[in-house]
Amino acid sequence: MLYTVPLLLDLSGVQKRFGGVTALRDGNLRVAPGEVHLLLGENGAGKSTLMKIVAGVERRDAGCMLWQGRAVSFRSSTEAAAAGIAMVHQESLLAPHLSVAENIFLGREDRRPFGWVSRQRMIERASLLIARHHFPLDAHASVGRLSPAGKQLVEICRAIQHGSSLLIFDEPTSSLSGAETEEVFRIVRALRQRGMGVIYITHRLEELRAIGDQVTILRDGASVHTGTLAGLSTDRIIQHMVGREMESIYAREAYPPGPELLRVEGLACRLVPRDVSFSLRAGEIVGLAGLIGAGRTETCRAIFGVDPPERGRIFVGGREVRIRSPREAVAAGIALVTEDRQRTGLALRLPIAYNITMANLRAVSHLGVIDGQAQSRVTAEYTERLRIRCASGRQAAGRLSGGNQQKVAIAKWLFRHARIFLFDEPTRGIDVGAKVEVFQLMDELARSGAAVLMVSSEMQELLQVADRILVMRQGRISGELPGRTTQEEIMRLAALHREAGA
Amino acid sequence: MMQRLLPFVSLIVLFTALAIASPHFLTQTNLASVVRQTAVINTMSLGMTVIIIAGGIDLSVGAMLAMSGVLGTMAMVSGMPVGAGVLIGVLAGLFWGAVNGFLTTRLRIAPFIVTLGTLGIIRGLTLIITSGLPVHGVPLSFAFLGAGNLLGVPFVLWVVVVCALAMHVILEHTRLGRYAFAIGSNPEAAIYAGVPVAFNTTAIYALGGLLTGLAGMIEASRLMTGQPTAGNGYELQAIAAVVIGGGSLTGGEGSIIGTLIGALIMGLLANGSDLLGISPYLQQAIIGAVIILAVSVDELRKRRLAKE
Repeated sequence: MLYTVPLLLDLSGVQKRFGGVTALRDGNLRVAPGEVHLLLGENGAGKSTLMKIVAGVERRDAGCMLWQGRAVSFRSSTEAAAAGIAMVHQESLLAPHLSVAENIFLGREDRRPFGWVSRQRMIERASLLIARHHFPLDAHASVGRLSPAGKQLVEICRAIQHGSSLLIFDEPTSSLSGAETEEVFRIVRALRQRGMGVIYITHRLEELRAIGDQVTILRDGASVHTGTLAGLSTDRIIQHMVGREMESIYAREAYPPGPELLRVEGLACRLVPRDVSFSLRAGEIVGLAGLIGAGRTETCRAIFGVDPPERGRIFVGGREVRIRSPREAVAAGIALVTEDRQRTGLALRLPIAYNITMANLRAVSHLGVIDGQAQSRVTAEYTERLRIRCASGRQAAGRLSGGNQQKVAIAKWLFRHARIFLFDEPTRGIDVGAKVEVFQLMDELARSGAAVLMVSSEMQELLQVADRILVMRQGRISGELPGRTTQEEIMRLAALHREAGA
Repeated sequence: MMQRLLPFVSLIVLFTALAIASPHFLTQTNLASVVRQTAVINTMSLGMTVIIIAGGIDLSVGAMLAMSGVLGTMAMVSGMPVGAGVLIGVLAGLFWGAVNGFLTTRLRIAPFIVTLGTLGIIRGLTLIITSGLPVHGVPLSFAFLGAGNLLGVPFVLWVVVVCALAMHVILEHTRLGRYAFAIGSNPEAAIYAGVPVAFNTTAIYALGGLLTGLAGMIEASRLMTGQPTAGNGYELQAIAAVVIGGGSLTGGEGSIIGTLIGALIMGLLANGSDLLGISPYLQQAIIGAVIILAVSVDELRKRRLAKE
């Protein structure tokens, strides 16, 4: 690879071990100014470790790192930041009770006597920064009230406010809607125009082309491919990432559905959903599409009794049920795989075994006493069936990769023998290999006679997996499409203005 | 593994050091008195362990202990049999524990606030009931609970051992215990999994209250009066025992064996200071330092574990 401009960052042969585990064997990465460099790889491939070394959070064991042509070793993130390297974090590391301006300058406030902070000046500087980049942000606003995209923007402001030359984005769009993603892309392009280097980590293969110039793919701790994105097909990218041939398109065979398992009539909550009716039949996978705020997650939460609906009726297997709490939903055979598994799906500090049996502890206990052997048996059965990669069932769930955590969350409901599965963004933050496994699992569920509802913001996924697709807009079902539809059709139903739709 | 054993090793080191430092330490009289002195905090901290594992806290246990002791002894003075008096004391604890659990789960108020409130309420009611005066005239046979021997060892040792075994089994082998871990580790995930969170939380506080009631009767038996001012500050000692034993105030972590070791370390420090003639003022400072030391060692261990 020939570079006409001097390199911003040049990593070669970087190694890092954590205890007995090799996180990086041979990390190589070269980033030039004014380029967006995509860093791809499955979870556990070493992307995060490599970026932490660049950003000074971790120190490498071996290898060479050149920053603007000079050999460097950052001992802390402060040192890296001073040299001009900043990281935009995937999960918001912001203080929700403070304002946008206070968050942008948190820890970097002007030094004044007695620790006095001038709120006025801080707001002015923040407003200036926001205005220069045309961000849709208010410096006074409380960060806790911002959307995920807004929080992401605050993170970006934090990263660029002291003139960085290299910005690292760790999955910036994983929690954003289509329009918000476009906004982030616009910002990334603007930064690139100004000659900054950008390293961009993502799992969303469909968004690569919109943003990337160069690409480096990591697998098992080593760089396996690097080059321009233009010359690389998506299939080749997947092959490099997983190291094996894969059905590039996961295609599901359709077969005739069975009897109706769930029917919802006129479901309405305070805001959204407003009036939602649909039914799920045994053996079906139904997609639920829509923009952020259309009310898809809220519909799942209403059915599952988290936010019990104000109006509407729910029928399970033809019989009307009253669901006022998740407990009653679970008793009715409904399962919800939530979009935020760390917050609502798993007890991260507890063993995998505890998590798998949590929703059905009665099945492994007798008169309130837990049968340890039965629990181990169940754990072994489900870790094997779902191919959960773990040392043992006693391992804390929080130490698994995102994909394996998701499988534990699903295993909990399989063991509960639920018949109606609501999957809310089941592939968020998990790698390609695990995604396909999750799809296969959903297919297995459907084949065994369960009904599956899948909420996803990634239309490509819905098109691959769903038998039919319901589209929501402003709290209502705006239409139903067959599984073999197009993204344009979905978008038309999801984004149509109310006047036009009426 | 080595580090997990650290509290246990420190206990043995402390024990050995005291045995060498003071000729009076290894005598039967002294060891029996350590057991009797620590029995009250030990019993209370068993319940506190489960409450803390479930992500809660109970600041009202000291006041609860006083009310249990007062009600139990009043029943005896009024002519009820000793056994019935003890039962009344235990049930009083159970009742207040259930009230704490009910308030935290139904009103959704942080347990710190709820139990800070009930601390005041219970202590106030106890003082009103007794007009601030101790209850005298309990039957002599009541002394057996706190001062008696069974098979050559203090009777309270049997009580503590049986309670500890029962609590260990509940915590590690029953649904209630499992739910305590689940609720403490991630209450949202527990609700989403359909765990009966409100019921189990209430049961956990009630169980803690029950053990506190029993501790109150042990205290009353040792003093042979019902003291309305008993148990002041005991809540902090019980919490300290749990925390020294590896319990986490953010919930989801802790064990009965750890708590017992924590309570014993505190008891031995107090006893050793007495034997070695260290001033009780310095004693307090030493125990305070040990709490911080124990927790920082445990934090280091966890951090190292998380890195690997």
